[in-house]
Amino acid sequence: MRIHRIITVIGAAIGVLSLVALSGSSAVRAQAPVSEVLIGELLPLTGNFASLGQQYLWAGQTVEDIVNNDYPDLKVPLGPGKGFPGLGGAKMTLVVRDDQSRGDQARTLAEQLITVNKVHWLNGEGTSGNTSIIQPLVESYGIPMSCHPCASPTLTEKGFKWFWRTGPNDSVMVASVFQFLKEWPAHGGPTTLKTIALFTCDNLFCQDNRKIAADLAEKSGFKIVADLTTKTGATTLASEVQRLQSANPDVLFYVQYPAETTVFQADAKRAGFMPKVIATSNGAYSDQTWLNAQKANNGAAAWLGRDPTAIDLASRKPSWKQVNDIYKKYSRGQDMGELSMREITGLLWMADTINRAKSVEPAALAKAANETNMTPDVMIIDYKGIKFNQNRQNELATGVVTQVGWDNEKHTIWPWELAKQAGFKTIFPAPGWQERDSKK
Amino acid sequence: MTLFLQAVADGLQMGLLYALVAVGLTIIWGLMEMINFAHGEFMMLGMFGAWGLSVSLGWDPLVSMVPLAVIMYGAGVLVYRLLMRRVQRGEIFTQIFATVGLFFFIQNGAVAVFTSDYRFVEKSWLTGLSGAHITLGDVRIGVPLLVGGLIALALFLILYLLIDRTDFGLALQATSEDRDAAMLVGIRPQRMYAVAWGLGTALVAIAGVILANFFAVYPQAGLSFTVLAYAIVALGGFGSILGTLMAALVVGVVQSVTAAYLPPAFKDAFVFGSYILIGLLRPQGLFGRF
Repeated sequence: MRIHRIITVIGAAIGVLSLVALSGSSAVRAQAPVSEVLIGELLPLTGNFASLGQQYLWAGQTVEDIVNNDYPDLKVPLGPGKGFPGLGGAKMTLVVRDDQSRGDQARTLAEQLITVNKVHWLNGEGTSGNTSIIQPLVESYGIPMSCHPCASPTLTEKGFKWFWRTGPNDSVMVASVFQFLKEWPAHGGPTTLKTIALFTCDNLFCQDNRKIAADLAEKSGFKIVADLTTKTGATTLASEVQRLQSANPDVLFYVQYPAETTVFQADAKRAGFMPKVIATSNGAYSDQTWLNAQKANNGAAAWLGRDPTAIDLASRKPSWKQVNDIYKKYSRGQDMGELSMREITGLLWMADTINRAKSVEPAALAKAANETNMTPDVMIIDYKGIKFNQNRQNELATGVVTQVGWDNEKHTIWPWELAKQAGFKTIFPAPGWQERDSKK
Repeated sequence: MTLFLQAVADGLQMGLLYALVAVGLTIIWGLMEMINFAHGEFMMLGMFGAWGLSVSLGWDPLVSMVPLAVIMYGAGVLVYRLLMRRVQRGEIFTQIFATVGLFFFIQNGAVAVFTSDYRFVEKSWLTGLSGAHITLGDVRIGVPLLVGGLIALALFLILYLLIDRTDFGLALQATSEDRDAAMLVGIRPQRMYAVAWGLGTALVAIAGVILANFFAVYPQAGLSFTVLAYAIVALGGFGSILGTLMAALVVGVVQSVTAAYLPPAFKDAFVFGSYILIGLLRPQGLFGRF
């Protein structure tokens, strides 16, 4: 009799738990019409990557503004009209959380956003390392997730079914740099570049770049004369600069964040170190505040790097200017940098996907996302379009190579047809520190 | 050999700046035995102060150093009176959590006010000297860092004389050693603690003002230096001004020399490794007393 009662209690408990679990799953989520679409924005708003997080937040606020307000002349998805027409005019609401640039916090907050806030889509985390931490969690809950500026190839190569990326990955962008270096001699560039040094920080993003660059450098016929990895947050790089100087590379492949880049520049200037070419990939090169600060001392002149878009050409688009005006309402007057452009493009694609799905059901959203075929004319960035491969990586996201000129602005130098449109003469070799100072 | 000598010279110069960052912590943590996890945030405020006065009033950081030191002295006293005095007699964890809270409050406050943008002191006497160097044999010594280091050294000398050679310094040490006994001879401990907080905060803010000439100014700028500062204070011996200086030079040289020959990503590991090694041989630190 007693055993019977115990079995009954255990059975009832299992039943209740099953119901609780199922009620949170996508399978039985209520089909009621929605008045607002909740977008979880999980970002590093404080901590080491806060400067990135704030740009993504401003990008998110810009897209929320575009979706919820009527911009009749704005030729981007959901520009004209208010809210999501496919969902009866439902508004878009960002649910923003700050993970302090910490992976453990990101995981906890992602779970809260899914289970407590019941977000319909999770966007974040903005850095590849922390995004890779939360991917398995989001996958287990089965809701759509995206991180558009995250560039680590591994994010889409793990075969996750609920993760999409509209931006190009590092393989595409670093390959652009090496393709440019390979083709450069045929377009009037130097024929004497034979050696390369790799100088990168130690997180997932930097190390992915390093591995891709090391592979491509050898395939492109460069001899790697130094390969140095530094800790993020370095207070001095004097010895590292000495080692690079001793190695005397023709090309320096450089991936570091703005704070470390400032340290590097000071140490390189004191040592009188300047290779013929500094080729970079994201990091400081993508940070608008670092680029702005270089105007005082020509510190970035002749640096070249990969970008997801020809920023000098994209800014000629009318829609770019309109979106930039909206962005400036949130960014305290700063223009969009390329990271913000990647994020805005991705979030506008997400809004378009939700609208096409006419539902906030995860399965319907996934179907609409996979069926995407967006054309370049509705984008503020010059990808060739948005269409996903089997890994949910946008196969039409492209990379370009830009160089900072003496005007301290980026100019497109590859692909050659875009470079022709930009009409910029590539600077070679990179000027020494005295020349930079003399042109202040 | 040149690589080694250059690394030693670079390490010594950085060591002097580390010493200036750490000495405030020596006074608050080492001498007065109060934990302060917000130490680096006061440095960051000093950096923002230098940047702000440079941009708005065109003041050179070497000029703004004086008013900022006074303001930050007041801020340190205020933090003690409003917060630390209340938690001082509680558990050590209460102090830890109070200053961790202060750390988040100051850093997030800076994010709210300044955003997380990187700022740079673009025009100052020291940045104008950037690239200038003195050559000793094959070794290049950068003038801006050298000037920064010499300022740090001068402040150290003043502080050493203040703590070791004046009645005030002796009163500070007496309070640290035996608070009740100090009261018997007419020393007011609360006042000594407040002064120690003010002094420690002012010194790290001065360090921030000097560092603003060489580093990006942003809300998280203090963290890398704080971690090193803790190792330096422990390595030098708690409460020892001279020990802090020597330990900071050791840390600077270890960082620099190891980065010159070994994988640079691990240079901080070698710093903490040397701390463990010295801790095994001399647990009280280089100049500490039991």
